[in-house]
Amino acid sequence: MSRKQLDRILLAVVALAAFGLPLVVTSPTYLQILILLFFYAYLTTAWNLVGGFAGVLPLGHSVFVGIGAYTSSILTLQYGVSPWIGMLVGGAIAAVIGVIIGLPTFRMRGAYFCLCTIAFAEGIRVMVENIDTLGPLKINGPRGLLVPLLKDPTFWDYQFMSKLPYYYIILVLLILVLAFTWFISRSKIGYYLAAGGEEPEAAAALGINVANYKLFAMALSCFLTALAGTFYAQLMLYFYPKGLMGLDLSFEIAFIALIGGRGTIAGPVIGALLLRPLNEFTRIYLSDMLPGLHLVIFGLILILVMIYLPKGLTAPLAALYDRLARKITGQGAAK
Amino acid sequence: MSNILEVTNLTKHFGGLTAVSSLDLHIKTGEILALIGPNGAGKSTVFNLVAGVFAPSEGVIKFAGQTTHGQKPWDLARLGLARTFQIVKPFGSKTVLYNVMVGAFLRTNSTQKAREIAEEVLVTLQLDHTKDMLAANLTIADRKRLEIAKALATDPKLLLLDEVMAGLRPTEVDDMIGIIRGLRDRGVTVFVIEHIMRAVMALSDRVVVIQFGQKIAEGSPEAVTKDENVIKAYLGGEYDAA
Amino acid sequence: MTAVIQAALNGAMMGAMYGLTALGLTLIFGVMKVVNFAHGSLLMVGMFSAYWLIRLTGIHPYLALVIVPPVLFVFGYYLQDVVIKPVFKAEGQVREPLTVIIVTTGVWYVLDNLALMLFGAEYRTVRTAISNKSFALGEFIISIPKFSGFVVAIATAIGLALFMRKTKTGKALRATSLDREAANLMGIDQYRIYNIAFGLGTAIAGIAGCVLIPFYYVYPSVGVVFDIRAFIIVVLGGLGSIPGALLGGLVIGLIESVFSQFMASTWTEAIIYAIFLIILFVKPSGFFGHKQDW
Ligand SMILES: Nc1ncnc2c1ncn2[C@@H]1O[C@H](COP(=O)(O)OP(=O)(O)OP(=O)(O)O)[C@@H](O)[C@H]1O
Ligand SMILES: [Mg+2]
Repeated sequence: MSRKQLDRILLAVVALAAFGLPLVVTSPTYLQILILLFFYAYLTTAWNLVGGFAGVLPLGHSVFVGIGAYTSSILTLQYGVSPWIGMLVGGAIAAVIGVIIGLPTFRMRGAYFCLCTIAFAEGIRVMVENIDTLGPLKINGPRGLLVPLLKDPTFWDYQFMSKLPYYYIILVLLILVLAFTWFISRSKIGYYLAAGGEEPEAAAALGINVANYKLFAMALSCFLTALAGTFYAQLMLYFYPKGLMGLDLSFEIAFIALIGGRGTIAGPVIGALLLRPLNEFTRIYLSDMLPGLHLVIFGLILILVMIYLPKGLTAPLAALYDRLARKITGQGAAK
Repeated sequence: MSNILEVTNLTKHFGGLTAVSSLDLHIKTGEILALIGPNGAGKSTVFNLVAGVFAPSEGVIKFAGQTTHGQKPWDLARLGLARTFQIVKPFGSKTVLYNVMVGAFLRTNSTQKAREIAEEVLVTLQLDHTKDMLAANLTIADRKRLEIAKALATDPKLLLLDEVMAGLRPTEVDDMIGIIRGLRDRGVTVFVIEHIMRAVMALSDRVVVIQFGQKIAEGSPEAVTKDENVIKAYLGGEYDAA
Repeated sequence: MTAVIQAALNGAMMGAMYGLTALGLTLIFGVMKVVNFAHGSLLMVGMFSAYWLIRLTGIHPYLALVIVPPVLFVFGYYLQDVVIKPVFKAEGQVREPLTVIIVTTGVWYVLDNLALMLFGAEYRTVRTAISNKSFALGEFIISIPKFSGFVVAIATAIGLALFMRKTKTGKALRATSLDREAANLMGIDQYRIYNIAFGLGTAIAGIAGCVLIPFYYVYPSVGVVFDIRAFIIVVLGGLGSIPGALLGGLVIGLIESVFSQFMASTWTEAIIYAIFLIILFVKPSGFFGHKQDW
């Protein structure tokens, strides 16, 4: 058996397991945890396009989740547009805003971009909280929006009576975005993004307009992030600015990426697999005992991983798989 | 023979300091021109001006017949101008092959094609045995070669080499001289900044000497080393005659 | 009009507090090229230290000024040495190590939530000898604790600027901030300089904590309020610039309190962000920053 075959088999097993999981996990509570896990893995993969491959640190991505949720929900509530369409409109708006943020900042050093993303995101959140109606649009200020539950929803309504369709939608979205990232990372764009992120001057000398490539990555990342916003709105049927567009979500996305492995394909998934359950369980079991303890643990894990595995968990796991693969394919020890 | 590069009255001020002052020079297609001068003479600044990193304070730069005014480094790279950095700038977390492929992508959109170009360039620079190593783990000599390999992969007409022999051992210098000659034989015009006079003598068709940003001599390597101004400029300087 | 001027005076004094927080942030950034996300938490540590010191011993709040900052210097020095340095080393000579930023975020989470575990979420104030004192300036009323905070902020900025220019340590800090590798070659121990920079930044947060406590309340996440403002201020003033931090602080304080005379205070926050973004588009290097000096 060749290494390539082994990789394919492993991938197929993982994918099959993911598709078959709802056969085992039938409780809606656990299904919901899994859905959110995939949701975070998806968001982090989208983030990774700019935060990982382009080598900058965006810390305001929750605002794009919010843009997606608000756009599709307002279009559905007030104009009867299907959320599937609204999702694309939200993505387009998010991409434009992402470019606007990137335009002045990508030409400067990274810290400006990082702080600017926070300021932009918080600025938009505060504005949404202060606006009840914007022209004909009902924004509803800090109270957020309620997506009414439909009696007999069709697929076109992006609403379902059970959790199962949501599970498969987010799973498919995640697989698509992972495949897309894989494709990007092996193409010219991926090489150019990585080069520009690591040594901008050297990249420019090799013919790369670094700022433009970063803008492109930002637009893509924001577009994809907003799609998940619509998903969240349809899943929860309720959201409000502080919960959805706050810094907590933005930071958690970055944490998952860094702990999993920034700039790797599997990193966001591995990070989400570790942090999401940890987050859920420590919150449920520890926050009653001592409020804040779960976040102390969270912070400590973050610090320890950064000290001992600055490249994230993916690197050692990949090395382990590499060794196993060598044994299985019978290629002997490392060269 | 036409001139691939023509520089007239080139001047660059950094605040109060004039790093390059009314410099004229040209390079004929196919030749090797060396730019020499004491430390801080303004050599690297000339490269940065030619490569579009800085805009000149005054003067005109013409590359392949076109004025480069307002062109950014990436535009010039596309037109066929490649350069190395005195302080090498590898993409350290990536493999050597990856580094060179980044350069190769300038002439192709296909990953497969870029890999082929890069592998060929690596053979030219005798770096093929390191292709799977991380660039950060290379020796100094190999880093300098990688710097050239990345530039060469963009398939340039004119290649600017900024002190690619500094820090190399004598045998490595000999290898490098061979490599640069090979580049010229492939039709690349080469513009080098070099401190190691042995290499300058062995390589260049012509030499331009600058001091305090001004040209003080120009001519064949033999003529330049006998020039009185040049000898004066280097007296007392820590001058490497190796 | 009187109300507006009174608001402007109050705003300037509060702005000096923001500026003081931003001063530590900009110092750490200037030297280490790291945005310290734990900075608000360090301010919180400073405020709680001052709070408990005054509460338990009853000393005059300004006596705390000679005790808390040195303690916080030591705290910051070792925090950098033990927690942040290892990550720095792992990232080698990367100019802007992003993982270090994330580590400071971890520190923020740990500190804020430790405070929550220890002291609970309630807002605390301590009555001090000067808490409600004020003096009249014509028809305007100036609160003494706020005014002395203003004076201390300016004095700290001047002191820091002098320290950076006149002392050997200060010069080493500046050399490191200009060119890390060159400073290394000159025999400056980069990591010790980082310890000092982080210690100083933390000590300044301690100063801010001491002057805030007589008129402000303290709670575990109090730092977040100052954090976000400090980030905006350092970008406004130019990352790494000492006068920029103070001036940026004053601008933010003024905008905040003057605008709140005319509109709901929730809107003033939006206006601060808007102004920040306008400046970023018009003069991205801020008031005092140079175009790409770092
Ligand atoms: N970006 C810059 N800003 C300000 N001054 C600069 C800049 N780049 C170079 N200089 C100054 O311009 C002068 C010429 O520098 P340059 O690097 O061109 O010299 P050089 O001839 O390449 O020297 P070396 O042989 O040491 O490489 C020096 O005094 C240098 O300090
Ligand atoms: Mg030079």
